[in-house]
Amino acid sequence: MPEIDPTEYEIAALGPKITDIDDPEEIEAMLALERDGEDRVPVKTLLEDRLEKLTAEDEAVDPSEVDLSELTVADVANLVRDVDDADVLRDMLEREKDGQDRKTARSQIESRIESIEGSEDEDGEIEEVEHVPPEEKHPDLDHPTDEKQWVEGTVEGTYRDMWVYCETQQGELIDVSREMLGKARELMDDYNADPAGDRGVADDDSSGHYGGDEEGNPEAVVAVLIGDSVGDLTEEVLAYGADRVVYHEDDRLDRFRHKPYTEIFCGMCRDGDYDWRDYHEPRYTLFPATNNGRDLSALVQGELDSGLASDCSGLYIESAMISNPAKTGQAGDKREFERILHMKRPDFSGFEYSTILCIDKPNRDFHPQGGSVIPGSFEIPEAEPEPEGEVVEHEMDLEESWFHVDVTDYDQLDEGVDLTGHDVIVAMGRGIGDSPTEGIELGLDLVDAFEDADLGLSRGVITSSYSFDSHVEQYIGEDRQIGESGQVVEPDIYIAAGISGAIQHKVGMDESDTIISINTNTDADIRDFSDYFIQGDLFEVLPRLTEAVESGELPTALQEVSDD
Amino acid sequence: MTEHEQYEAVVVGCGPGGAAAAATLARSGIETLVLERGAEPGSKNVSGGLIYAEESAPYTIDDLFPDFREQATERPATKNYIHNISGEQVATFDISQLHHHDTEWADAVLRREMDSWVGERVHEMTRETGGGLLTDVRVTGLLRDQGEIVGVEMAELDPIEADIVVAADGVNSELARDAGLMDWEEPEEWFQGVKAVVDMPPEVINERFDIDDDEGVAHLFSGDLFEGVRGGGFLYTNEASLSIGTVFHLDSIAAERAEPHELLDSLLTHPLMTQWLGDEYEEREYSAKLVPDSKKVAHESPHRDRLVLVGDAAGQMQAQGPIIKGMNHAVTAGALAAEAYTTAKSRGTPHDAGRRYEQKLNEEGVMDKLRPTSYDIVGKLGETDSIASLTDTIAESALGRFGVRTLGEGVLERLFSSPRLMAMMPDTRTPYVTIPKIIAEELGEPVTDENTVEPPELDDRIGDLTYDVGDPHIELIDNSFKASGTAVTACPVSAKDFGGGCYRDEHVQTNGSEDHVVSLDTQPCVECGTCAVVADTHWEHPDGGKGVEYKDG
Repeated sequence: MPEIDPTEYEIAALGPKITDIDDPEEIEAMLALERDGEDRVPVKTLLEDRLEKLTAEDEAVDPSEVDLSELTVADVANLVRDVDDADVLRDMLEREKDGQDRKTARSQIESRIESIEGSEDEDGEIEEVEHVPPEEKHPDLDHPTDEKQWVEGTVEGTYRDMWVYCETQQGELIDVSREMLGKARELMDDYNADPAGDRGVADDDSSGHYGGDEEGNPEAVVAVLIGDSVGDLTEEVLAYGADRVVYHEDDRLDRFRHKPYTEIFCGMCRDGDYDWRDYHEPRYTLFPATNNGRDLSALVQGELDSGLASDCSGLYIESAMISNPAKTGQAGDKREFERILHMKRPDFSGFEYSTILCIDKPNRDFHPQGGSVIPGSFEIPEAEPEPEGEVVEHEMDLEESWFHVDVTDYDQLDEGVDLTGHDVIVAMGRGIGDSPTEGIELGLDLVDAFEDADLGLSRGVITSSYSFDSHVEQYIGEDRQIGESGQVVEPDIYIAAGISGAIQHKVGMDESDTIISINTNTDADIRDFSDYFIQGDLFEVLPRLTEAVESGELPTALQEVSDD
Repeated sequence: MTEHEQYEAVVVGCGPGGAAAAATLARSGIETLVLERGAEPGSKNVSGGLIYAEESAPYTIDDLFPDFREQATERPATKNYIHNISGEQVATFDISQLHHHDTEWADAVLRREMDSWVGERVHEMTRETGGGLLTDVRVTGLLRDQGEIVGVEMAELDPIEADIVVAADGVNSELARDAGLMDWEEPEEWFQGVKAVVDMPPEVINERFDIDDDEGVAHLFSGDLFEGVRGGGFLYTNEASLSIGTVFHLDSIAAERAEPHELLDSLLTHPLMTQWLGDEYEEREYSAKLVPDSKKVAHESPHRDRLVLVGDAAGQMQAQGPIIKGMNHAVTAGALAAEAYTTAKSRGTPHDAGRRYEQKLNEEGVMDKLRPTSYDIVGKLGETDSIASLTDTIAESALGRFGVRTLGEGVLERLFSSPRLMAMMPDTRTPYVTIPKIIAEELGEPVTDENTVEPPELDDRIGDLTYDVGDPHIELIDNSFKASGTAVTACPVSAKDFGGGCYRDEHVQTNGSEDHVVSLDTQPCVECGTCAVVADTHWEHPDGGKGVEYKDG
């Protein structure tokens, strides 16, 4: 009797169970039970498959004698995996050639021979992977880049420095530009530092410390500014960590346009001939992962015939052990690549991270190693008060055709309203519901009566369906919301009119020095955290408050009307 | 069609149904990816609080997740009572027998704790298969290829293809609606439950309910507590808290313009509760959910193409009088769906799992529990208006009352304990309100304890439930009070004359005329789905990790 009676199981439950059974007789007994019992076809198939697998394992095949013509290519592949004697394999290869001479079977045997003998030929020299240009290797495919001078053109070029594209908006550096400069400074300082061993420190710190380039010369952080009157920003860029800033000014560059920006960037870092750049291309490039930065990074890295790791959140420079023969040029051996920029980026929206490496191939360099950086990934560094560095104005002719695509219209997003920092905030709630426009007008009157005040709103007003007349409508928006999902304010005086004081509102204002609330409902929560509570209709109370403020009698007026 | 990420199985939602499906798939070595909208399994989930293991069920949750009862549940329900209430008159029946019928065990649970524990097991099991559990991901709809469902689309990730998609995404399943299998049209197809989790030290619970640490009580309440709104209440004992809630027919809530939080309060403040609640009332959490009425909506063919629906998503929630069972059916359905796929796959027809799943639901008797034939014949008849009022009148009449008196407590208690009778009950006022009321009047004893409980105001209840919803996930299509005004009262976090809720009614002056409208702020939303049924909305869940996050659930 077998341990498991198959007739007692659903096929789904049986599958996992029988994979643990290694005794063919046991399976045969189960098969017999199934035949006598339920006699289900899929169960029998399942058992027969297992039986076949087990018996097949027992019949050892001698690779030096087997008739290859009886084996499928898959069988051959399985068979050669266990053969470690290259002579046996060569013999098999001969027999295959004499027999069916299947190309796929031959390549299975050949690749096994190769992996046993390693990549060394008889002289003990490392066997190079033969390079065939893609045009020759795949003549049947289109090769749209075969005319392009740079593809496959650059081998063993010289590369130096970390280039940082500093994006500007409205004539100002944006924060991510500062963040990247700080990170680049940190990376290159580390890169230029002497190796740990040279400093008498244990050499177990794997990151950086190359002591500069291959000749031991330090490499620089090069900042790029492109735009209209960006020359004003060079000092600031040096202050955040650049050694050299290259800028290109032109009033046609007031807004980002990808054609001229790409041409200029590539002109600076590859095409132009400058005494300050004695190398082919940058070693590393960084771009911001903003809308414009993503656009530019893809175009520039494409034009420079390299790769791009987009939307990175972590960067470090380290050596990397690589075994991929496409990169090492040697089958079966690992090679260490130095000075590799490791670019960490979130996948699956940050559920996983991958680290992207951009590494030269034997017949084609992949430089610059470049990535775009998610804003906020790095700290903004302290600005150096008296920065030193080189400022280079870049000059090149900008072709008219680069400007064929023009931005004809654009909108500036509202900056929003900053309610913090005022002496007084007058906040309006759903108490204005009976006459919303008038309520806002009264609130604005009170705001105007103070020297430094502004108008706030409860979330209930913003999300209401009240219709406001056009002259007050501009004040109704989320940018004036006070509370948990809005702004948190701490003015000297906070006046809450018609606001009940839900916890979500409270957290936005209860640090205010003096809280004055106006409400018809004496049970309103806001009373619990008000310094003055005025029971009354805001439509009557607000005009009186305004009058009192204007005549300088607010404290007296408060004492008169407040019952708290 | 572009290349998409591929998994063999994608399970949407990691409640009991999704977890059972994922665990069963993983056991067969099937590569399974589980997608959960919450920051953690359970953070979106609410239940009344009893999970059953039925003797007749092919799968129970502790079969699939060993140690479930030790690790993830509160107290077992060892005693069951129903209280028939009329004013201060209360007649109490012991219905333990009904609850023990076909019950291996029944435990009170809090869903955050339960589902997060189960979720960890699910992640361990599915990771072995090359998949795993991903949280903070909202599945927004189905991926189709030439009209056929082949996978899912998400707000946070690129589309994923799968040989089977298990939609265990709950009562407001966006997938079931995308596939056209479920809708939110008829209020009479739904119940709405609201619940308060009340803090109470274990020793106080033991004393007030006269139980030991390893015992627990389930109380049910019916009668005229609730101003004629059809439904009832419950109280379950947890380890260190009580789950007290009310469940009503949504059409009744809508028609009576009832405020769900007030209905809950009327239970909490009834003199009967004094013995259990004492003087100090500390509410930990207020929650709400829609409950499908399986008699009407349990889908008889819950699959389409590669999609199968399990649990609430398929309307698999059995609520028949005092029998309220949902999670156990979700577990069975989830495991059967997985089994169906495994079989279909081994036969070389993986995309044929839906048909096999449907077959298994019938063969294993799940369908018959969810949609009893006796209800289809007898119960529905009793719901037509003229018959309903006739039954009500007979019960109210002297003859009916005489019947109650003659039958007496013993017989009535036995009748209440008959699962067959309970399955036949029509959903009218008669069983929920009239009969219990009469029973209480004729057989009950007055309860005169003074109840000093002061339940929190709605704004304080919401205050503990504030979340970032991102962009509003519900859109009012028609904001006229006529079309959507019912939501102001029916929404469990809104109320008439309350400006801090989701739905507020407003009078707006435009060009001299006044419109009666409602406005919507989705910030306090608990994602129960009520307004999707009673108002004219475009309803979606908030994106992954956003929106309501229950601590107890």
